[in-house]
Amino acid sequence: MSPDAIPDLLPPPVGPAIGNDPAFVANPNVEVRDASVWFGQKVALSEVSCSFGAGVTGLLGPNGAGKTTLMRAMTGLIDLKQGSITVEGRHPRQDRSVHDHMALVPEDEAVPSGLTAREFVRYRAALHRVTDRHAPDATLAAVGMLDVGDRVVDGFSKGMRQRTKVAAALVSNPRVLVLDEPLNGADPVQRLHLINLFRQMGTEGRTVIVSSHVLHEVERLADRVIVLVSGRLAAAGSHRAIRDTMDDRPRHVLVRADDDGRRLGGALLSLPSVAGVSVQPNGLVVSTTRARDLAVSLPQLARQLSIRLQEVRPLDDSLESLFRELVR
Amino acid sequence: MSIHAPSEAKAIPSPFMALVTYTLRSCIPVKRRIGILITACGAVLFGALSWALEFNQHESFARVAGQGIFGLILPIATLIIGDAVLGAEIRSGTFLFTWMSSVSLGRIVLARWLGGSIVAIATLVPACVLASVVAGASETAGPIAIGAAAGCLAYVAVFIAIGCVARRAAVWALAFVFLFERLLGFALSGIAQLSPSWESRSVFLGLIDDPPGFMVRKGIPEGWSAVGRLSLITLVALGIARWRMAHLRLDSAAD
Repeated sequence: MSPDAIPDLLPPPVGPAIGNDPAFVANPNVEVRDASVWFGQKVALSEVSCSFGAGVTGLLGPNGAGKTTLMRAMTGLIDLKQGSITVEGRHPRQDRSVHDHMALVPEDEAVPSGLTAREFVRYRAALHRVTDRHAPDATLAAVGMLDVGDRVVDGFSKGMRQRTKVAAALVSNPRVLVLDEPLNGADPVQRLHLINLFRQMGTEGRTVIVSSHVLHEVERLADRVIVLVSGRLAAAGSHRAIRDTMDDRPRHVLVRADDDGRRLGGALLSLPSVAGVSVQPNGLVVSTTRARDLAVSLPQLARQLSIRLQEVRPLDDSLESLFRELVR
Repeated sequence: MSIHAPSEAKAIPSPFMALVTYTLRSCIPVKRRIGILITACGAVLFGALSWALEFNQHESFARVAGQGIFGLILPIATLIIGDAVLGAEIRSGTFLFTWMSSVSLGRIVLARWLGGSIVAIATLVPACVLASVVAGASETAGPIAIGAAAGCLAYVAVFIAIGCVARRAAVWALAFVFLFERLLGFALSGIAQLSPSWESRSVFLGLIDDPPGFMVRKGIPEGWSAVGRLSLITLVALGIARWRMAHLRLDSAAD
């Protein structure tokens, strides 16, 4: 999206974390304070506190973690049982003017029946009092749906429905964009296209909150990550920063050297930073609770043993592994 | 953003116009349209059925209209429409596309009611008039048209309100028609006074000449007074819908 398409957007980009708490950012547009939601006996969110500022923030967690509930609470679709959520200082459930500057792309496949993509986007434009008659086509073009704008949305594939909903969300030029699994069903080319679009929107100063189960794409997409597990805030920050804060949890590092591994493996076990070593066909898998210490001592040890290191690679420096450890 | 905006792009309508158009275009899918047409045909069939009764055509049609058209066709057809314009959309998870805007909830309710009422009146009023002609009682065409139109307006409002109050709106709407109106309304005139079915029937009976005496219920206003009562029911129902819409929990469709 070109900058001139969003004239009323303001910098600054990604806000820094406040103090030592990476769950909060300076200059937040969306603030969540002790948010709790439960449905009968089921607790969907439990005392979640965090904030979102300009830039792209990934909202991550396994199924049932409370991502969709938090997104729906942020957009005012459901009420909190406890706590508060404000969007640009206003309550999204009570002050409907919030929705002039906020949009949601829901995860559900449901779309209004009987409307073409163009009619659907025009409907959303009308509700937001968009006056530019070309805006619907411009947003359809932005998501690569202009060519099928006259086709009925019901007949679309899942990915096309998602893209149409993204277009319907963008047509009002929102400052806060909440995207619940927006890449679902999109083909690889379209995924890349949408990722670039969302990133660009983040750098333009919008607050973009994205949830997705395709974690490696979120790593490429989000500047910052909020991790929810079982309705609670489990971690926040960049995914590497989150990993660094988890020093007490074991990490696995693949070490390949020019010997058979037994000599180096035995020596590694003597290091206090190493919890275990297993010999695998492709090298040694070293389990450590202090990755930084290992990074310092491993080359020294290899030099002492006259072993040449060929590869040192973390095996679990991905968000998938992070989830596994957080829910363990 | 690459823009391929064609120069012939239509002007974007006002929010209220868009809401009404959306209600007419999207809220009533093909299956429901078929259901509405079938019930409209049912009204005409009731008109034909009046020939089977052993009274003069005027009284025969009054009896058939009172029991069949106002007691059955009108509530069922408006239930299909009233549930479609809101309750079904809430259940399917698409209502958030309307709710998430700065358009006031009152306008949303009003637009949905107007759209639903247009469909109901456009379908049922001609069917009721045709039924009176088929029945050979064309002198009742005016009264039945007024009664059906007033009943449509009230029923659609009531079913929109039920859609805002209850999760299983269609079930509660059926309970409203058959338990509250038909059963309790038959036994208690106080309940009947709150019933669009009884009140719209009363509009009809009050505006025709020589209505069958046993059909006129004491304590229920007739004719134009019943139209006033139906207007009140409509306003109260729309007020409830507006109030409840602010408290809707718009979960995902699967929830």
